[in-house]
Amino acid sequence: MNRRTFVYNAALGTLGLAGFPLRAAGSGPRELKGLKIDVQAPDVPMSPLGMPGLFPGRVVEAFHSAALVNRRVSEEAVRAMIDAGMKALSGESNAKDAWAKLFVPGDVVALKVNPSGVPGTVTSIPVLREVIRALTSVGVPTRNMIVYDRNSNQLEVNGYHTLVPPGVRVVGLDQRWVVKGETRSGYDPNSFCEMDCFGERETRSYLASIVANEATKIVNLPCLKEHNASGVTGCLKNLAYGSFNNVNRTHTDPKTYTDPVIPVMCTAAPLRAKSVLHIMDGIRAVYHGGPFAWNPEFQWEAKTLLIGTDPVAVDRIELEIVEQKRKEVGVPSLWDRDPKNLGSSGEMQKTAFKNPFYREPGHIKTAAELGLGKWELDQIDRRRIKIE
Amino acid sequence: MPDWPTLLASNDRRGGTAAARKTAPSELIWKVALSESIRSSPILKDGVVYVTSRDGRLYAFDARTGKERWTFQAAAAIDSTPSTSGGLVFFGCDDGAIYAIDLTAGRLRWKAEGGGPVWTSPIVKDGVVFAGSNDGVFKAVDLQSGKVRWSRQFEGQICSTAYAADRLVYFGCGDGRLRAVESASGKDAWVHQAGDSVVASPALASGAVLAGSEDCFFYALDAQSGTVRWKVETGLGIYSSPAVAGDVVYFGGKDGYVYALNVADGKQIWRSDSMRTLTAPPLAGESVVCMQTFYGSTQAFDAKTGARLWRANLGGSLQSTPILTDEAVYLATYPGVLYALR
Repeated sequence: MNRRTFVYNAALGTLGLAGFPLRAAGSGPRELKGLKIDVQAPDVPMSPLGMPGLFPGRVVEAFHSAALVNRRVSEEAVRAMIDAGMKALSGESNAKDAWAKLFVPGDVVALKVNPSGVPGTVTSIPVLREVIRALTSVGVPTRNMIVYDRNSNQLEVNGYHTLVPPGVRVVGLDQRWVVKGETRSGYDPNSFCEMDCFGERETRSYLASIVANEATKIVNLPCLKEHNASGVTGCLKNLAYGSFNNVNRTHTDPKTYTDPVIPVMCTAAPLRAKSVLHIMDGIRAVYHGGPFAWNPEFQWEAKTLLIGTDPVAVDRIELEIVEQKRKEVGVPSLWDRDPKNLGSSGEMQKTAFKNPFYREPGHIKTAAELGLGKWELDQIDRRRIKIE
Repeated sequence: MPDWPTLLASNDRRGGTAAARKTAPSELIWKVALSESIRSSPILKDGVVYVTSRDGRLYAFDARTGKERWTFQAAAAIDSTPSTSGGLVFFGCDDGAIYAIDLTAGRLRWKAEGGGPVWTSPIVKDGVVFAGSNDGVFKAVDLQSGKVRWSRQFEGQICSTAYAADRLVYFGCGDGRLRAVESASGKDAWVHQAGDSVVASPALASGAVLAGSEDCFFYALDAQSGTVRWKVETGLGIYSSPAVAGDVVYFGGKDGYVYALNVADGKQIWRSDSMRTLTAPPLAGESVVCMQTFYGSTQAFDAKTGARLWRANLGGSLQSTPILTDEAVYLATYPGVLYALR
């Protein structure tokens, strides 16, 4: 086991690790109390594949004009986007070789989907199926693939259980299940993040057993979405808040701890070492009202996938895309700090001028400070692919 | 108290009884909280409610009092809606087996072993139990002995509960095919290729097999030949199994609407307001259509007009279909609570 303590100084907006001060967290000083965060998890050795992975700073932005046909995600287009994207990411001339750089037949691969934007803005079934097909092509058997999220009901209502090939397990971490006769629960009692954000009763967030103990690799499949607390729900948030439980407690107040908690959770060795590929589903994207995105007025058809091994760089590009969209439609920036734009969740669903929280997109920059990837745009190699 | 011995009340998937409950249930008769989720629908036989749970148990409760008659512990979680026939209650299990349990004593009569989890509800016709499983196997099992009469392997998961008619058995498959196989041999009678998985369980009415697909279309296929009589496009995929009442077929869409279509030609009779996403099968009584939603409400509509009659909020429910009788409404929720309401 590895245990580390992070100390967040809210007054200065800084984050320190075991006596070593780090650079300022992304959002600067805030009116929050300081926060001590203990992270305990199995000591998984880092490999070159762990975040930021084989291609730090490289983000492939694959657009396909026919990604949506009559409002439906086209499996054919998704295949073309992922094939082209993986080749552009890796420099390989065929997609199979690109996947083989990251996965071997003996891997147990966890696939972290985002099922919360039911029904339109979730990790789409064609994207998930295509990743499963690609993993199969390099020899990973379907029985070694586990689709997971915290919420089994959201997984189920999207149909992930029934729409993947036979053999692929679909696991909601909030349930128990049986593997080879042994009953397992969703979270590892020895792997956790301990912190007291707002005086909550339960101060531990436990890490998924699949991540801590079972998977050898993780493919992260977030969505291109605004998030009312963290700014965007991208690679980092999908991993952290989809693999640890009891995380809503970080955003119960207009001022939230999503920065630095999201990036700190991503430094937990199993998450950091095993997350080797991030494919962000931006076929339908959301600029406001996320993560649930119940109002379709705030969605747009971006017809895009973002692909990379560096979650910080991918999230930075996502942030640029969402900011650009918000600018186009004339609504406040994700960095907005004007208290008069605060509103209830109900108001948020009706108008893009209201939000319950001050968003914290600076969590992406904090992740860069923690060594998880590249934040500065001039250090990001953004490779655009356009398929007509 | 009428029987409700299988998914959607009876093997003809007519989905309901003559109960015409025009007002919301307002009184709790009893409730039972189980230790794990309920992903299946309850059934009712001879005054006993049977329900399965992810805790691996089949429960039998007195329908009037909620008192537990017996429980049976299977080897793994259960996601399959039970069905009854010939003094037995059947269900599929995540251990890959189909179980036959004595209705009165709750003892195991037989267990037909298999490979992948069985989420479909076993359907009984003429002494044979039919069920598909998540590893793509569809099998016919002798009701008395539990011996497998025939078994076939398909390419996709089978999560679609079969419809057993006199000579043919119909079911959908994850490979996008809606199949009719001969009940005696398992040989293909016909195969219809849809654009994506068929998870919904088919119904049969007026000589047409009725089912939706993840490809967003709802199909009516000629039951004998498999030719398309009509198809209707919806906004997103269809997961919800249809129920039939009179000349109308009802189903929910992932696009959030309840649809009422004329069985003869697919003409839309009404469409509800959007409820975000719907995956459970509706219940279609003579004059009321009930639907449980992902967000925890049970909603009732006038069967003829689609006007909303009532709603009851009881917590998250997904695949479950309520039992509606003149005396009570029985509801199972995803968090694992079984309600009897008046």
